[in-house]
Amino acid sequence: MIARGRFRVLAMLAVGAAVASACGSGRSALQAGLDEPDTIASTAAPSTSESSTVESGPPGEGAPTDSTGSTPDTTPATIAPTTTQSPLADQPGCPTGALDEASGPVEITFWHGMASELETSVIALTDEYNAGQDRVHIDLQNQTSYNSAIDKYIQSSQESRPTLIQFPDYVVQSFAQSGTLIPIEACLEDSGYDTSAFLERTLDAYTFEGIRWAMPFNVSNPVLYYNRQRFEAAGLDPDLSPVSLDDLRATSQAIVDTGAASFGWVVDSGADSGGSWFLEQWLGRSGELYADNGNGRVAPATQVLYDGQPGIDLLTFVQSMINDGLAVSVGGNPGGQDGFLKMIDPASPGAMTIGTSAALGSVIAALGGGIAPGLTEADIGVGPMPGPGDTPGVQVGGGSLWIVADKGDEQTAAAWDFITYLVSAEIQARWASETGYVPVRSDAVDLEPLATTYATDPRFKVPYDQLLTSVEGEASLSPALGPQREVRVATANAVAAIFDGADVATSLSAAAAQSDALIQSYNSRN
Amino acid sequence: MAIDLTTEGLEPAEPAAGVAVDRGPRNAVREFDEPVGWRRAGRYALLAAVSVIVLFPMYTTVIAALKPGDEVLDSPLLPTAFTLDVLREAWTSGHLGRYLVNSLVVAVIVTVFQVVTSVLAAYAFAILEFPGKRVLFLLFIATLLVPTEATVVVNFQTVDGLGWTNTFIGLSAPFLATAFGIFLLRQVFMTLPRDLLDAAAIDGVGHVGFLRHVALPLVRPTLGALALFSFLGTWNQYLWPNLVVTEQDMNTVQSGLRLLGKSNIDQPNLVMAGTVIAAVPMAIALFLFQRQLVKGLTAGAVKG
Amino acid sequence: MAMLLPSAVILGVFVVYPLGRAMVLGQQRCDNFGNNCVSNGLDQYVDLFRSIEFQNALGVTIRFALITVPLGVLAGVGLAVLADKYLRTIGGFRTVFSSTVATSVAVASLMWLFLLQPSVGALANMGWFTSIFPSVKDPGWLQDPGTALVAVAISSVWANLGFTFILVTAGLQSIPRDLHEAAAVDGAGGVRRFWSITVPLLGPTLLFVVVVSSTRAFQAYGEIDILTGGGPQPENPTTTIPYFIYGQNSPIRNDVGLQAGAAVLLFLLLLALSGLQLAGIGRRVHYGD
Repeated sequence: MIARGRFRVLAMLAVGAAVASACGSGRSALQAGLDEPDTIASTAAPSTSESSTVESGPPGEGAPTDSTGSTPDTTPATIAPTTTQSPLADQPGCPTGALDEASGPVEITFWHGMASELETSVIALTDEYNAGQDRVHIDLQNQTSYNSAIDKYIQSSQESRPTLIQFPDYVVQSFAQSGTLIPIEACLEDSGYDTSAFLERTLDAYTFEGIRWAMPFNVSNPVLYYNRQRFEAAGLDPDLSPVSLDDLRATSQAIVDTGAASFGWVVDSGADSGGSWFLEQWLGRSGELYADNGNGRVAPATQVLYDGQPGIDLLTFVQSMINDGLAVSVGGNPGGQDGFLKMIDPASPGAMTIGTSAALGSVIAALGGGIAPGLTEADIGVGPMPGPGDTPGVQVGGGSLWIVADKGDEQTAAAWDFITYLVSAEIQARWASETGYVPVRSDAVDLEPLATTYATDPRFKVPYDQLLTSVEGEASLSPALGPQREVRVATANAVAAIFDGADVATSLSAAAAQSDALIQSYNSRN
Repeated sequence: MAIDLTTEGLEPAEPAAGVAVDRGPRNAVREFDEPVGWRRAGRYALLAAVSVIVLFPMYTTVIAALKPGDEVLDSPLLPTAFTLDVLREAWTSGHLGRYLVNSLVVAVIVTVFQVVTSVLAAYAFAILEFPGKRVLFLLFIATLLVPTEATVVVNFQTVDGLGWTNTFIGLSAPFLATAFGIFLLRQVFMTLPRDLLDAAAIDGVGHVGFLRHVALPLVRPTLGALALFSFLGTWNQYLWPNLVVTEQDMNTVQSGLRLLGKSNIDQPNLVMAGTVIAAVPMAIALFLFQRQLVKGLTAGAVKG
Repeated sequence: MAMLLPSAVILGVFVVYPLGRAMVLGQQRCDNFGNNCVSNGLDQYVDLFRSIEFQNALGVTIRFALITVPLGVLAGVGLAVLADKYLRTIGGFRTVFSSTVATSVAVASLMWLFLLQPSVGALANMGWFTSIFPSVKDPGWLQDPGTALVAVAISSVWANLGFTFILVTAGLQSIPRDLHEAAAVDGAGGVRRFWSITVPLLGPTLLFVVVVSSTRAFQAYGEIDILTGGGPQPENPTTTIPYFIYGQNSPIRNDVGLQAGAAVLLFLLLLALSGLQLAGIGRRVHYGD
């Protein structure tokens, strides 16, 4: 009887092994169920130079790439948009005057994704708004993170969704196309709100197919954080930070040569930081497109272009700095802190790192709390993000406010009222001063407390200034893709592989193939 | 008609076969099971060493939870500083008090329902006869293999459609019954001696009466074990509460902990303090009911 | 029969029905909001199963189970046997060994995240430990693609230790003492008695522990969410199947059809796995005395 049982088990294992060995098609999950042959490449991570390649060869290359194959050096033609632009009239409307007819206070829910000190500021602003008038009451709900807010929004029914929600920059296309939100353009038109004082680029950052969809609220961009003590020890002027790529290399060289720190520059490959910035921000600064159709702003993008020679050159630059011992990578940096922690690592510290300007408040607080002995908060310098070219320039990042449709006129008007409060000059001055976010309007700069903050601590002004000096052009807006976050994950993987020593061109082209696959999958379904 | 349930025929003088005797140290055969001399010392040493390893993560966590912000980065092994402020802050800024209450309410609801529904179903499977019983039982057991990932999205839509998001009933609805409890209780019901049943039938006691007055008291340890498992399982849920709650006030302590962890990455001591607070109620429950748990499990549950 | 109704209704609505819906959804492709779905038939399941991403996740999940299940069972049995003696303070030790039952996935993972941080973690800053395992400090076990999965597995085994210990202890205590006494009288030593009496009679318990542990291993999500977020780039060696479905960096994050399909595939895998275990081990298990 034991023998029979054993036989049965062996038989099952044999069948299982047979099934398993027939597995592995070498194709991407995104292809599942579709009829076309292998035109979509897998999204599996590109293999680093040492490891063996997958059965079908490097993703994407074995497949018969056709019109969607990436052609690095030719000027990308603007491919005809796959969806026609829907005019503003077809979008849900925004009756901003409906509040006057309301009988009592209108209660609306606002989902946000701000953490620690940022959350404290949001709570304070909301409380004051609620206390200062009786027409609208805001119910603030923290959804932990942007990703959670996005997930919960998508899964909920329209009734369960809040009236007002804060979304990050990378969901512009997918939510604009969802049909569940009211474009802010409708509210601007209905109310005649004056946006002349606004930084034009902050409004453009949330534009898709010619319509402005969201109101920028917490604008941030990457800046360079550096340790002034180490600059001084290297004989460098602590008030000057590198702006061009050559400066960056020279500064790092000086720091390493004099032994002021173990590394000049700390980089990371996180999907929400280095893994996307080095391509998105730096290509934009060079005037190069990241994706076709004007970075996806003019019409939905159909392919990415970052694997061209400009992208290759940029990442080769970083890779060479790592190879020469001038820079070090801290990996995926999921919490956003590893770069900073590396700067205060007692054993082998780095002298500078690129981080989001939104972290300035937390960095100052952490240093003030004594997290690094011998380093006070005054010892951290902030400079514009280094990149190609000699002029500082960045693309707008951060978060914005979106109004959800089908909530009733009063609710919509209430949401609009709160939005106008949050982007008023006075509140933007306070918000920017407390958090380090960039005010979305230039007339906030002269108001208190921001004016004093900028005067006494010019570090807070850096992200603002570098927005103003950015070169305008079709590449100055960050890419708006349907599957933007997934594409960022693909580029982050490629960047990580490159930092590990993989061949730049191969990694980028693999990531580009994956990104194209993601875009195609999105476009075919949405 | 009054039923005398204390006669010897109905209430066994010693626990029925399969209902466990506590085999803890007090009942062990002393001469046989007690090591002496160097064996004893050796065993103590081994026990102590393993305990250190098992407790190590908790030790470092508590150490960190008691350190103020600027000291959290030095010597993670030694309690170089002591302050209760961090715990206090985790409690208030993390709203852990409210979240603990939420977790408690949901856990109690689920536990009560799971025990009740499992008792009923297990009794039916163990004692009653009906067509298709075997197949039905296998189907019930198969539900244990359905991963949460497969059900979570549709369940959310169901709960959302009923308007139960951000409510206690929404937090508990999918878990009000469990095949695990049915399995456990069926095992132990099946070990009840047949004569008990026959005697009750002769006395004209219906199934409900038998269940209430005879069967349940006899399987109390297993009920306790099931209740503890249900409570623990619900207390520790991670995926569902994250999904179904969009109003901060309704977070359970696990979601609250996740929120605390993500909001305060720069303050590990705060997050550690939060985990300490979240773990304490369970630790207390375990300490009080550990013996019962083992007792309940030996009552036929793991005998297949 | 009516007694079955409450359980049947609840399990039906919240387990069977969603599974059915998921099976239907799994052969459709929908837009980002789950609307406008297009059916593609069972081919989609086969394609998904054979795809690179799913195969990778399957490999990771199997590897994860192969580490956690044997390790967990061994540790649980080891601890239970260690504590199965008459000593006055044995109750205290037993409480210590079962203490991890009080930790949830979130709590345990956060504890280990803190322990393993290269800069501030306890393990990464213990001199003697880092001399044996230098990678715990640089680049860190959770940051090194070679060790990340093992690190997550260790955290998972630790978190489940209490539960396994309690189960095995219960199993040990159901073994009648007279069997051991009789064997001892006949001259069998401790080790011999362990293998001839304890292990066979622990059979049902061990089977139960193995099934529960492997089911858990195949559904590991929270640990990965907190500890590695899918794995150090670029190989992402900690993306298990559940994390492939719902993780933050998943390529199918906005594709409800593929998510449902992968979840159904996971269910089928669990079914096959349990079947294998019951057939393989279950047959050799002794029931009763």
